[in-house]
Amino acid sequence: MNKKIFIALALILVFCGSAPSQTGVKKKRPLPYEYGRVIIDNYSDKADLAPVVFEHWIHRSMFTCRVCHVDVGFAMKAGATGITAADNARGYYCGSCHNGKRVVDGKTVFQACSRKVNLEDEKRCLRCHSYGQKVASDFDFFKFSEPLPKERFGNGVDWEKSEELGLIKPASFLEGASTSKGNAFVVQKDFALNPKVEGMPDIIFSHRKHTVWNGCELCHPDIFMGVKRGTVKYSMVDISQGKSCGACHTTVAFPLTDCQRCHSKPVS
Amino acid sequence: MSMFSMQKGTRKNERRLLLLVLAFGVLLLENITSAQIYLPKSPPEPSEYGKVILDNYSRAGPGAVVFDHWLHRSKFTCRLCHVDVGFAMQAKATGIRASTNRQGFHCGACHDGKKLFEGKPIFAACSDAVNDQQCDRCHSLGKEGVRKYEYRTFTAKFPKGIYGVNWDAAEKSGVIKPVDFVEGLSVKKATMQSREDFALKAGYSWVHPINFSHEKHSIWNGCELCHPEIFPSAPKGTIHFSMFSNIEGRYCGACHGKVAFPLNNCQRCHPNGPLWAP
Amino acid sequence: MFKVKFKATIITVLLFIGLVGLCSVRAMGGPQSSAAQAEPAKETWRKEFDDVCSKTQDAMTFSQEELTDLIRRCDALLPQIEKLDESLKKVYMERLRKCRGLYVYVLDAKRNEKK
Repeated sequence: MNKKIFIALALILVFCGSAPSQTGVKKKRPLPYEYGRVIIDNYSDKADLAPVVFEHWIHRSMFTCRVCHVDVGFAMKAGATGITAADNARGYYCGSCHNGKRVVDGKTVFQACSRKVNLEDEKRCLRCHSYGQKVASDFDFFKFSEPLPKERFGNGVDWEKSEELGLIKPASFLEGASTSKGNAFVVQKDFALNPKVEGMPDIIFSHRKHTVWNGCELCHPDIFMGVKRGTVKYSMVDISQGKSCGACHTTVAFPLTDCQRCHSKPVS
Repeated sequence: MSMFSMQKGTRKNERRLLLLVLAFGVLLLENITSAQIYLPKSPPEPSEYGKVILDNYSRAGPGAVVFDHWLHRSKFTCRLCHVDVGFAMQAKATGIRASTNRQGFHCGACHDGKKLFEGKPIFAACSDAVNDQQCDRCHSLGKEGVRKYEYRTFTAKFPKGIYGVNWDAAEKSGVIKPVDFVEGLSVKKATMQSREDFALKAGYSWVHPINFSHEKHSIWNGCELCHPEIFPSAPKGTIHFSMFSNIEGRYCGACHGKVAFPLNNCQRCHPNGPLWAP
Repeated sequence: MFKVKFKATIITVLLFIGLVGLCSVRAMGGPQSSAAQAEPAKETWRKEFDDVCSKTQDAMTFSQEELTDLIRRCDALLPQIEKLDESLKKVYMERLRKCRGLYVYVLDAKRNEKK
C-alpha cells in the first residue's frame, strides 16, 4: 500500500516539475533554403548511413505536387511512406526518376540506392544521405531563386507567380508512373470561405490552382473529407497542428504567418 | 506480506512517503502562491533592458555579440525584424551565423554594406573585407569604447516612463519614426482591417480588466508576429493565460518583460486605478 | 529411351524460349523492365489500374452509376495488387486507396447534393 502511494506521488512530482508546454512563444523560423526540408530516417541509421535530407524546392520547380504525392505515391509526412533502398533500386519512389537513365532538363538523373555499391559510389550516396554531413549540393538555392519573384516567408519565392511568368514549368505527367494525362481535366472553381473571427477578411480559396497542382485525390478525402461545403469547420488552431490546410501550409507551401495570402477578400 | 517483512520495510517506506509528501506539498504551495501573488523580477537598468547577448558561435573568434534593442527600436517597427527578416524572439532560437549574415539573412538583411539608411550605407556584418574595428561594433561584450551609440546620449530627448523610455509617447510626439517597409526586404501586402482595442477580463475579481491596445500592437507588429504562434488564432476568450505564463515568457511575456515595458509596470495594462479597488 | 529424349527436347526448347525472352526484356532496359517482367497477368492489372485511376480528374463529371462501377473495379483490383511483390504492392496499394477513396468521396458528394 505504501509502495503504491510512493509511486503515485513520485509520478505526480515528476509531472508537476516537468517543463511547461510550448504555446505562446514564437517558433524558430526556417531559413528560405531550409523551408520544406524533410529528414527521412526510417532505415538509414540501421544501414549505417546518414539520414536522408530531401529539399522540396528543387523538385517543386520541376514537378507538380501531384506527380510525387499521387502518381509516385509519397506520403505527406516524413517517414510515413516507408521507402527502402530496395524500393528505390527497383524503380519505385525516388527510383522512379533517380534510376541513372531518366533524363530531366537534358541531364541524366543520378541513380538512388543501386543494388551493387562500390567505393566510388559513396559520393553519390552522400547526395541524399547528407544529414549532418558536409555535402556540397549541385543546386545552389541563391542562384536558383534569384530570378524568381519574391514572397515573404517559406522559401521566399512566389511559386504561383513564377509559374505564371513561365520561369518554372512544373511537369504534371511522369512517364511510367502517371496514369492521367495531367492537364486535360475539369478544374474546380474558386470559392469564398467565411472566417469564424469577425473582422478577418474572407478567405478566397483558389480551388482551381490547387486542382491544377494537386489533382483531386491528394486532398480528397484524406485531408478534406467533408462532402458538403460549410459542414466541416476548420479552425486556425487545427490548421496550425497540420490538419486540413495545415497538411501543406505549415511545412512546404507558404506558412500560416502569411495571413493575407488566404484572407484576401477585400474588406468593404 | 509477512509480519517480519512489514516491520522492516515499513519504517523505510514511511520515511520515503513523508519526504515525498513534503516535497509535493512545497511544490503545490509554490504553484498556488506564485499563481496568485507572484511578482516579476525587477527589470535591469533602462540602458541594459532589452539587451540580448548572442554567444552561440562567437566564443572562439571575435567574442560574444551584444544587441541593444533600443537603437533599432527607435528606427524600425518590431514587425520589420521579427517578421520580414525573421528573427526569433528567444535566445539561441534564430540560428544566426557569420555565414547566414554574409548570405544576406538575419543581420545581413540590412547590414550588407549596400543598403542605405538616412543616406549612408549600413556597415556590412561579418564581412571579410573589413578590419577588426568593425567586428567590435557588434562583438563588443567586455570591450570598452567600441560602440558607436550610447544609451543616455541617444535617448536624452525621448519621453521617459517609470522604466526608461516610453516608446509609445516617443512615437506619438514624433521623436521617433519607426520604419515599417524596407525596399528589397519587405514585400508589399494588402493592408488588413485595423484591429480594434478590447478589454480582457482578469482571472481574479480584485484585478481590473486589461485594456488591450490591439490597434497599437498591429501597427508595430503586423499580424504575423503574434498570430498564430504567440496567440493562437482562436475565438476570443478560449485561450486562457495568466500572469504566471506571462512571467515565464509566453503570450504577453514574449515581449513584455524582455524588450517591451516590463510586467512590473502594472498600470500600463491594468489602468483603472489601484488594483485592489472594488 | 524415347521418353528421355523427348524430355530433353522439351527442356531444351523451354530453355531456348526463356533465353529469348530474357534477352528481349533486357533489351528494353532499366527498372521499367523489372516492372514489366514476368507473367502476362501483371500487365492486365496494370492496364486496368491505369484505365480506372486515370479518370480521377474527371470524377465530378461522372454519374452515380459510373462512379459505382469505378469503385467496383477498384475493389476487383485489390486482391490482384495484394499478390504483387513487396515494392509494387506498397506503391499500388496506396495509389489504389487514394483513387478509390476519391470516387467514394465524389459519389457521397453527389448523393448529398440530391438530398
